[in-house]
Amino acid sequence: MIRVERLCKSFDSLRAVDDVSFEVAEGEIFGLLGPNGAGKTTTINMICGVLKPDAGKVLIGGKDIWLQPKTVKRSFGVVPQEIAVYEDLTARDNLRFWGSLYGLSGAELRSRIDDALTRVGLADRADAKVKEFSGGMKRRLNLCMGLLHRPQVLLLDEPTVGIDPQARLNILEVVREVAASGTTILYTTHYMDEAQDLCDRIAIMDHGKILTVGTLDELTKLAGEAEVLKLSGAFADAAARSRLASIDGVRVLKADDRVAVLSIEAEGPGLLAVLPTLLAGDLEVEDVSIQRPNLQSVFISLTGKELRD
Amino acid sequence: MAPLGILRRDLLRYLRNPLRTALLFAVPLVMAAVFALAFGGGGGEQISIKVLLFDEDGTLLSRLADGVGTSPEASRRLDLVPVGEEGYAMMEKGEASALVHIPKGFTDDYLEGRPTTLEVVKNPSERFLPKVVEEGVGIGGIVLSVASRVFRSELQQIAQLKRGTSFPADAAVAELSAQFNGTLRGLERYLFPPVIDLESVELQEDATETDSGVLGILTYVLPGFSIMGILFLAQSATRDILIDRESGMLRHLLTAPVSPIDFLLGKCLSVFVVTIVGFAIFIGIGLAAGIRWGPAPAVILLMLASSLAAAGLLLLIMSLAGSERQGDTIATIVIMVFSMLGGAFIPVSQIPGFLRPLCAVTPVYWSTEAFAKLMLNGGSLADILPNVAVLAAVGAALLFGGAAILGRRIRRGAV
Repeated sequence: MIRVERLCKSFDSLRAVDDVSFEVAEGEIFGLLGPNGAGKTTTINMICGVLKPDAGKVLIGGKDIWLQPKTVKRSFGVVPQEIAVYEDLTARDNLRFWGSLYGLSGAELRSRIDDALTRVGLADRADAKVKEFSGGMKRRLNLCMGLLHRPQVLLLDEPTVGIDPQARLNILEVVREVAASGTTILYTTHYMDEAQDLCDRIAIMDHGKILTVGTLDELTKLAGEAEVLKLSGAFADAAARSRLASIDGVRVLKADDRVAVLSIEAEGPGLLAVLPTLLAGDLEVEDVSIQRPNLQSVFISLTGKELRD
Repeated sequence: MAPLGILRRDLLRYLRNPLRTALLFAVPLVMAAVFALAFGGGGGEQISIKVLLFDEDGTLLSRLADGVGTSPEASRRLDLVPVGEEGYAMMEKGEASALVHIPKGFTDDYLEGRPTTLEVVKNPSERFLPKVVEEGVGIGGIVLSVASRVFRSELQQIAQLKRGTSFPADAAVAELSAQFNGTLRGLERYLFPPVIDLESVELQEDATETDSGVLGILTYVLPGFSIMGILFLAQSATRDILIDRESGMLRHLLTAPVSPIDFLLGKCLSVFVVTIVGFAIFIGIGLAAGIRWGPAPAVILLMLASSLAAAGLLLLIMSLAGSERQGDTIATIVIMVFSMLGGAFIPVSQIPGFLRPLCAVTPVYWSTEAFAKLMLNGGSLADILPNVAVLAAVGAALLFGGAAILGRRIRRGAV
C-alpha cells in the first residue's frame, strides 16, 4: 500500500534522510522507531507530500504522491506531531472545516463528525472551544481530523507525545480499531513500548538511515537474543576500556568515562561466567543493570546507545 | 472549494472571537472620536474666556473696562470677574485665563498725559486664551494712547475739572464738549468713511453641518482612520498565515488535498473580504453618525480599491517576515507611518514639505485624497477614478507579489 524507494533529503550539510526504503502492506501497522532527530518526521513529511525529496519516490496505492498529489492525498489521513487545530474554534468547527477540504458536506459531514468525536471520547465537548481542552483532548481531536474522511492509509507522527497515560491509551486503542477495519497505518514513535505493542513490523531509524526492518521477533533475534549489560563506574582510561574488550564472550557497544554498555554474545560463556570477571577487582564497577532482549537492546546493539539518548 | 473553505473558516474565527474583532474596530473608531472631540469644540459651542479684573483705580476709565463684559456679545465669550488682591492667588491656582490689573491712579495719569501701565497676568497652563486677553488689552492700550494724543488738551481740561472740589459749571462742560466736537470734526475726513468695512455673515445651519463641530472633524478624520482600521484588519488576517506556519497548521493543511495555490487563493480572498466587510462597517458607522461619504457608486468602488491595496500591502509584509512577531512589528510600524504620511491623522498639507513627496507612496494617501474629493469638494466618481486606478493597480501588484513569495517559500519547504 505504501512503497518508499530510496528517499533522500538534506538540509544544507545535514543529511536528514539517507536512502530510506520500505514497504507497508495493506492493513498493516508499520512502525518507524527512532530517537528524536532520527529523520522520522522528515520521512513522513516527504511521504505525505509536504516536503519534496531530493531523491527517491513515494507510491501510495501505486500512485506517486508528487505526480498526482490531490488524488493521493484524498486516500490518506495525517495526524501530525504538532497539535494543528484552531484553538479559537470549537471541536465541531475544526472538523467541519477539515471535512470540507475533503469535499464532505451536509448530513454526511455532520454524521462523520459525530462518529469521529464519539470514537475518541469527545462527543460531549463537541461545541466547546479547543482552547478549553487539555493537551490529551487536543491530541484526540488531532486524531479525529486524520480519520474524518475515512482514509485507506493513516500516517501518524508521534501522536502520543506529551499527553497523559489515559489519553495515550485512548489514542492507541483507536489506532488498533482503525487498523482492524483494514486501514494501513504508518506510525512513528520514539516510545519503544508503543512500537512493541502496536506494530506488526518495525523499522529502526537513526541518523536518517533505516538500520533494520522486521517483526518484533525478527528484530530481537537479530540482536542475537543476547542480554545487554549496562555498567556504571570509571572507564575513563584506555586500560579499563581494553580490559572490558578483552573479556571473553563480551562485545563493547559503548564506553565513555562513566558508562559502558556490553552485549553478552550468545555463543560465548554466558552472563554468569562474565559477571565475576567484570566484578573481579581491576575494573571500578559501581552498578550493573541487565537488559533482556527487546527493542531497546536491539537499538543498543545496533547503535551503541539507548533510544532516549 | 478549498479556498472557499479557508475563507469560511477565517470569517468564522472572527465571529467566534467577538472581543478580538470588536477591538480591531474599536481602536480606529476611538481614535477618530478622540480627535473629533478634542478638535471639534464640542459641537460648535463657543469658548468663554474667564478674566479676573483687579481694579485698584475704580474711577472713570477703569469702570469702562468693567463695562466691556456687559454687552450681550461679549458676555457670551468673556467671563469678567471683579477681584481684589486675592486674584493673584486665584491665578496661582489656574482659576482663570488671565488677570488684568488696573493700578491706582490710572485714570489721573492718563488724563494728565503721564505714562502709566496696565498689567496682564497670564495662566501658563493655557496656550491660546491668555494670549487673546493680552492682545485685547494691548489693542485697548493703543486706542487709549492714540486718543490721549489726539484729545490732549480736552483730556487735560477734564483733569482740571476732576481736580475741582465742586461740581463743574455748565459753561465749562459745554465748552469742553464744543472742543471735543471741533477736534472730531477735524478728524472726520481722516476717519469717515472707513476704508475697510466689516460685515459678519451668519451661515445657515445646513450649509455648515459638515464643517462645524464634532461632525465636521469626523468628516475629516474618519476616512483616514477607517483606512488605518482596515490596514489593522488586514494585518490581523495576514498574521494568521504566519501563525499557521509556526503552529504547523500550514504543514497539516498541505497534507490535505489543498495545493499551495489553493491555500494562497483562500488567504488572499479571506484578507480581501475581511477588509471589505471592515470598511463597510466603518462606512456604516459614519453614516449613522451623520457623515456624508459621497455618491454610493464612487464610495463602493473606492472601498473595494482601498481594501485591495490594504490586503496586498499586508500580505507582502507578512510574506517577507521570518516570524509572526517580526511580521507584526514591521506591519504595525508600516501602518502607523503610512497612516501619518497618508493624511489619516493630519491633512497632507500640514506635513513638512520635505516629507510630502513620500505621501504619494502610501495607499492611505490615495484613499484619503479620494475621500476628501468626495466628501469635502462634492466630487463625483469621475474625479476619483485616478485614485481608484492607483489603489487597485498597487493592491493587485502587492497581492500578487506577496502570494508569489509565500508560494515559493511553501514550495521550498519553508513551512
